Amino acid sequence: MARIIVVTSGKGGVGKTTSSAAIGLGLALKGHKVVLIDFDIGLRNLDLIMGCERRVVYDFVNVINGEASLNQALIKDKRVSSLSILPASQTRDKDALTKESVGKVLDELSQSYDYIICDSPAGIEAGAMMALYFADEAIVTTNPEVSSVRDSDRILGMLASRSRRAEQGLEPIKEHLLLTRYSPKRVAEGEMLSVEDVEDILSIPLLGVIPESQAVLKASNAGEPVILDTESDAGQAYQDVIERLLGETVDFRFLVAEKKGIFSRMFGG
Amino acid sequence: MADANIEFKGSSFTLSILHLKTSNLTNIGADLQAKVAQAPDFFHLLPVVVNVAQFADSVDYQALKTLVEAANFTFVGFTGTVSKAQRQRIRDLGFSFVNTAKQTSAEQVAAQQTNVSTNPEANAAAVANLGFSDKVHQGQIRSGQQVYAKAQNLVIIGSVSAGAEVIADGNIHVYGSLRGRAIAGARGHDKAQVYCQKLEAELVSINGHYWLSESMTELWGEAAYLQLTDSELTAAKLS
Ligand SMILES: Nc1ncnc2c1ncn2[C@@H]1O[C@H](COP(=O)(O)OP(=O)(O)OP(=O)(O)O)[C@@H](O)[C@H]1O
Ligand SMILES: [Mg+2]
Repeated sequence: MARIIVVTSGKGGVGKTTSSAAIGLGLALKGHKVVLIDFDIGLRNLDLIMGCERRVVYDFVNVINGEASLNQALIKDKRVSSLSILPASQTRDKDALTKESVGKVLDELSQSYDYIICDSPAGIEAGAMMALYFADEAIVTTNPEVSSVRDSDRILGMLASRSRRAEQGLEPIKEHLLLTRYSPKRVAEGEMLSVEDVEDILSIPLLGVIPESQAVLKASNAGEPVILDTESDAGQAYQDVIERLLGETVDFRFLVAEKKGIFSRMFGG
Repeated sequence: MADANIEFKGSSFTLSILHLKTSNLTNIGADLQAKVAQAPDFFHLLPVVVNVAQFADSVDYQALKTLVEAANFTFVGFTGTVSKAQRQRIRDLGFSFVNTAKQTSAEQVAAQQTNVSTNPEANAAAVANLGFSDKVHQGQIRSGQQVYAKAQNLVIIGSVSAGAEVIADGNIHVYGSLRGRAIAGARGHDKAQVYCQKLEAELVSINGHYWLSESMTELWGEAAYLQLTDSELTAAKLS
């Protein structure tokens, strides 16, 4: 049975798709069989970040409608053979998905994959509810600012009340906090909430802190998930996330602003 | 045998009491309708006892009952400090007269407290008589969620998020941070209190008297409790 993990947030543009891509690829690099599903029907972003947008023939909605088989729609990653992507449709609308049909697709995928990563659309409407409904675990992606934290809190309420696990009275969804676009400098200046602030408000276990990084934009433009950029701070932070997801204890990095060297301090660099 | 199929047991309930400030039926009727219009679901079939203390001589009992029922309340009976003769008159008219339990229950509690440690059952009965039972919620109450303890106290083992709302007809206890809205004594109970381990609330209301966060600056972030003192909200540190 696969672990079904939803990457969700409430608020838009916080880094869900960036994180889904990095985590999916990271788990696959560890030898696990992983499928990434884009639930953002109508927008289609994940395939761009994964760099497979030109290989999309069939999509999630085609599978739901019985117009294509799962095998026809799944795109095998060129870098890691144990990773597949199920892209969203750009042309259909979100109403194409029903609980029943999505459940069937997930059941089928569960037979042959270890991890199913669901990249949720923003908001708390039907699309986001569908993405979280079947989840066993949730990676609640949050930026260190009040509105994003508030929306994540809202989503945590939904996870606890509107998911399949909640409805059927099963063990609750396992919740993880992923703090993204973290800028220690701006935290120090009081412009952003600190890790402790966010942990205190949401009180769920911290899975990772991804620093605000130039490397992310570079990676997106290249269609190479940032976890492949092993030199970058964001890439290394996502690497730590993978270790923690797999049960390792890893110290948190990139939480304090880098001390400037004596020269840059002297010359104001 | 008469008790083969049924059994009578005593119990105490929370009933809403309608206090009259006039005996003018037209005005009473208008106010009732206006009140119900504010929250129709909340008041629908709510059991109500009418306090007639001030107007026991002048009021038309049958018309009053009709008014209350027309506003979709469930009429239970009359109450108030009235003379024995008046009480009898009310009963002769075919209505029940309800005594408030305050005095009797206080006496019972005092009597039962003597054997508290030896008789757990009597102990439990004493506590029940003191007021509301508890509704216990495990875990954090998140933004957008609402929990209501109807005719109960509300105990939350966890925090109440900003954007969440907790309501109780009795007291509210938050074993965590209170960042959202807390409404205690929701259906008219001015002895209700709100306790929390960390006061950072958006709003605290007791029996309709409320504070916004700007009134809480002195105890902000502290373990605190809030209550009504002479119809004014007051807050104090816990411990
Ligand atoms: N750690 C980071 N550092 C810098 N920029 C980042 C970081 N994470 C994400 N971004 C940028 O933020 C933007 C939004 O990211 P992304 O598309 O992953 O968010 P999303 O939550 O999936 O958005 P949506 O809600 O629209 O689906 C992108 O431009 C991305 O490059
Ligand atoms: Mg996205």
